[in-house]
Amino acid sequence: MSIKLENVTKTYFTGEVETHAVKNVDLEIKNGEFVVLLGPSGSGKSTMLNIISGLDNPTSGKISIDGEIISDMNAKQLTKFRRDNLGFIFQQYNLLQTLSVKENVEVGREVSKLPFTVEEVLEQVGLTPQTTKYPFQLSGGEQQRVSIARAVVKNPKIMFCDEPTGALDEEMAKEILSILQKLNETYKTSVVLITHNPSIGAMADRIIKLNSGEVVEIIVNKTKLNASEISWG
Amino acid sequence: MLFRNVFRTLKKQYVQLLLLGLIITLSSFIYTTMDLGVGGIYAPTEAYFEEANQEKFAMKMMDMPLEVDSTYITTSCPLVAEIPFSISALKVIDEDCYYGVLNNRLNTITSEYDNIIVELRESKDVYFNLNGTSNKARILKDSVAINLSFFVEGEKPSTNNQIGITQAYAKNNNLVIGEILTLDDKDYTISGFVLFPDYSLAMFSDALIFDNDTQTMGLLTDEEFEHLNETVYFEIAGVYKEGYLDSDFKKDVIDDYRDNENLDFVTSTLLTINNMRSGAIYGEIEGGQKTALILSLLIASIALLIVGIMVSKVLQSQRGAIGILKSMGYTNLEITLPYIFFIAILSFPAIIMGYFLGVLGAEPMKNVYLTIYLLPSQPVAQTLETFTIAVVVPFVFLIVVSYLIIRRILNQKPVTLLNPPITSNANFLTKRMHGFLKRLKITSKLKHLLLYRNMVKFSAYIIGMFYAAFLILLSFSMIGVMDRMLYNYYDNTDYNYIGYCDYSQTCEVTGTQEKVIELPSAILNEEDIYLVGLSPDNELHKLLNKRDKEITNDLENGIIITTSLGLINGVKLGDSLMLQVGEESKEFKIVGVTEEYSGNRAYIDIEELSLLLTNTTTYSNAVYSQTKLSENDFLIVISTEDILQQASKMQSLFNIMIYVFIFASIAIGSIVVYILTVMTIEDNFYNISLFKVIGYNNKEIDKMILGGYLTYGIGTFLVTIPIAYGLFYLMTYYMAQFYGVLMPFRFELWHGLLSLVIFIILFYLGAYVAKRKLSKISLQEAMKMYQV
Repeated sequence: MSIKLENVTKTYFTGEVETHAVKNVDLEIKNGEFVVLLGPSGSGKSTMLNIISGLDNPTSGKISIDGEIISDMNAKQLTKFRRDNLGFIFQQYNLLQTLSVKENVEVGREVSKLPFTVEEVLEQVGLTPQTTKYPFQLSGGEQQRVSIARAVVKNPKIMFCDEPTGALDEEMAKEILSILQKLNETYKTSVVLITHNPSIGAMADRIIKLNSGEVVEIIVNKTKLNASEISWG
Repeated sequence: MLFRNVFRTLKKQYVQLLLLGLIITLSSFIYTTMDLGVGGIYAPTEAYFEEANQEKFAMKMMDMPLEVDSTYITTSCPLVAEIPFSISALKVIDEDCYYGVLNNRLNTITSEYDNIIVELRESKDVYFNLNGTSNKARILKDSVAINLSFFVEGEKPSTNNQIGITQAYAKNNNLVIGEILTLDDKDYTISGFVLFPDYSLAMFSDALIFDNDTQTMGLLTDEEFEHLNETVYFEIAGVYKEGYLDSDFKKDVIDDYRDNENLDFVTSTLLTINNMRSGAIYGEIEGGQKTALILSLLIASIALLIVGIMVSKVLQSQRGAIGILKSMGYTNLEITLPYIFFIAILSFPAIIMGYFLGVLGAEPMKNVYLTIYLLPSQPVAQTLETFTIAVVVPFVFLIVVSYLIIRRILNQKPVTLLNPPITSNANFLTKRMHGFLKRLKITSKLKHLLLYRNMVKFSAYIIGMFYAAFLILLSFSMIGVMDRMLYNYYDNTDYNYIGYCDYSQTCEVTGTQEKVIELPSAILNEEDIYLVGLSPDNELHKLLNKRDKEITNDLENGIIITTSLGLINGVKLGDSLMLQVGEESKEFKIVGVTEEYSGNRAYIDIEELSLLLTNTTTYSNAVYSQTKLSENDFLIVISTEDILQQASKMQSLFNIMIYVFIFASIAIGSIVVYILTVMTIEDNFYNISLFKVIGYNNKEIDKMILGGYLTYGIGTFLVTIPIAYGLFYLMTYYMAQFYGVLMPFRFELWHGLLSLVIFIILFYLGAYVAKRKLSKISLQEAMKMYQV
């Protein structure tokens, strides 16, 4: 599934202050591609992810995914679009505390037309022994793996990952990135990952650098590394 | 700065805050208005009761001659050829003999119990017409020592054509001293306005009629009292000798008289404080103040519950900011102060407004009391005590509890506040319920599990819903109470007139008239009852059970009792009980219960009763008729139309009170449902957003989030129905036992359905408002507010 951004701008208005979080961005993410959006705090990468994924609407410009213009969609259509095509992973894991690992994954599976089995996905993320545990019984890395499993189980065409390793140490972060890489390769799922850590770019097909809401550089990575091989800055 | 932040946060919740303010105002208003309203009556009433020597207790006696009475009549009353079936009838035959019998009874009582003084209390009831409306007067014979008449204006009647009536009745009917009132075709000049301390309510029977529009107490000269051609009723008024107390009386007399063979003629003994007619004002003063306090506390506690949830919700959303403040060195007190300040700023005006509205409402409330109670009064005055309880106590309570809630959250370390650790353990209920919900789809499972994650909030929701449901159901159950108490009986019977025949003769009937026996006093299971002998195939007085099925024919197999008799005396269908009529006793089985809520009445086959009374099957002492009976042919003629007209005024008064109660109950219940719904939906803000991000549509999210609350709300309403039903029965039962008066609450299917509809409408209204508010927050922002 490919994503196309044409002259996209997002402006926030706070009182009399106008903030251009994303400015005139033109970009294309190809089907099955692993893309890293890289930039420092305030560079607009989270805003970019939100509007690409339909969590927010751009102020101007056009966003289309496989020809479908999502920037014109209303909330109901966007929900349907997310349901059928997208998966999300956040830094904060966003798990439901009253549900077990398996049940949290089931929450994602329930909305999909062609889901994977919960067992299969849990095996992929290495959580089979933890199936009946609750989030509070898991480490941060394990919780993030549950979050990945919940996103993957619905068999999304694109995965959006917002600083998925931001709260983890190096070892756990690499584990998570390995899983994402494996899923990208196994299921040919497009992955859009945002991070402020330049090292992570080493495992991407392309690195899109952002600053002050603008795309400042696009690097095509011809020497993709495995997540475990990344040297953590 | 901190103050501004808290102000802006609270400003967003203005609807809930306004409704909360309304509840707090209501709480303070209810207490103030009740307390001050009653206060305007309390002091002058106390002085009046003291001065008029109000009875401490009242005893009811059988109006049926017992063996000892019969012996006296036979030996000492040569004018009485045949002993009548009632002592009241004896007065018509031989007045001295009548007083002889009753004095003997009074002497027996004082010889059994040393510490009491008793006096006979006689009365006669007269129906009369005033401005085209049927009115009723209870004429009391003036007492000598106990329950002295008290004139608030004018003078005691000194001639036989003067009458004293109640001021409330005079006021309601625009009568003034010097005007004429016609009773039994005789004109009486109103000489003054009288009060009797044993009638603080103009309540002449066990039916809850005590309106002063169509009922008055009356005082004539003793001579004129005897001239009135009406049935005489009698009972005993009593006071204590020096130092004797209610508790002594209860131990010595109330617990004893039923087993005392010399006192078989005493059918009931009631302490004044338990006697609705004379002592309800005590209950009203003490009970009313207590009820008002409890009601006000109950409402305040609901308010507090909501404040607690709101404050903790606000604080949870501010925990990051609070964490920063704490890390900067702000003390807990400094952070707490703005919250406490705004809670105080919001609640104090609400409480004060409630108090002053209460002060304004106290005078009308006092007047409402005075439309019902026959008591002296004084202008309403504010008291420090009322102000303290209505304003200071709830305010301090609210502030202290809010402070404790805030402190509990603030006691966490800054780092915990800034980075909440993932420690939300699955609680006991979540774990237990997992087992039961195993087979359900995850979305259905979530419907339940999301509710269990916070037991305090879940409990608050359930308790709040129960409270709302009970209030709404209680108010519905009161609809038609008066109809059931008064009109059911007359709706089911077809006679319009009752003629009481001369005691010495058997009644004669013509046309569709029917003979009956009405005995004002008979003993059933050792309790005094009103016994009516009817033909099992009579046409004018059909007996219907609660299901509206006719059961008159069952009289052939036993006796039929009223619902009120069953409840008051604790007897039921199928019981076999001893019936004593005159000197005869026979066991009968209760074969039916009629749907009548007033009167300690029982029905028996007329031939059976006639046999017991006269050894013949043809005796009768009254006639039921659809057409008007001539006063010349009967000793007394009573029109049911008169009774119904007289009751209709009371019904209107009662209906107003009931509708006010219904309105207030539904309003409070609705506010509770609305606030709790809005708060619980808002509480699920994060979950709703998460589901939206995952791709759940609105319908699915509603099913998971709203569905759970709706299911449990409906469940609570449904569970409340049988609980309320049971409580209504208990309330009816204890009122019957305590006051001898029935309050027939009734649950009908539509009450449950309507209360559910009200709940569902309010729920969706609350949910709509909450969701509209939530939709203004972006999903990506919501995702950052990870709830652990």
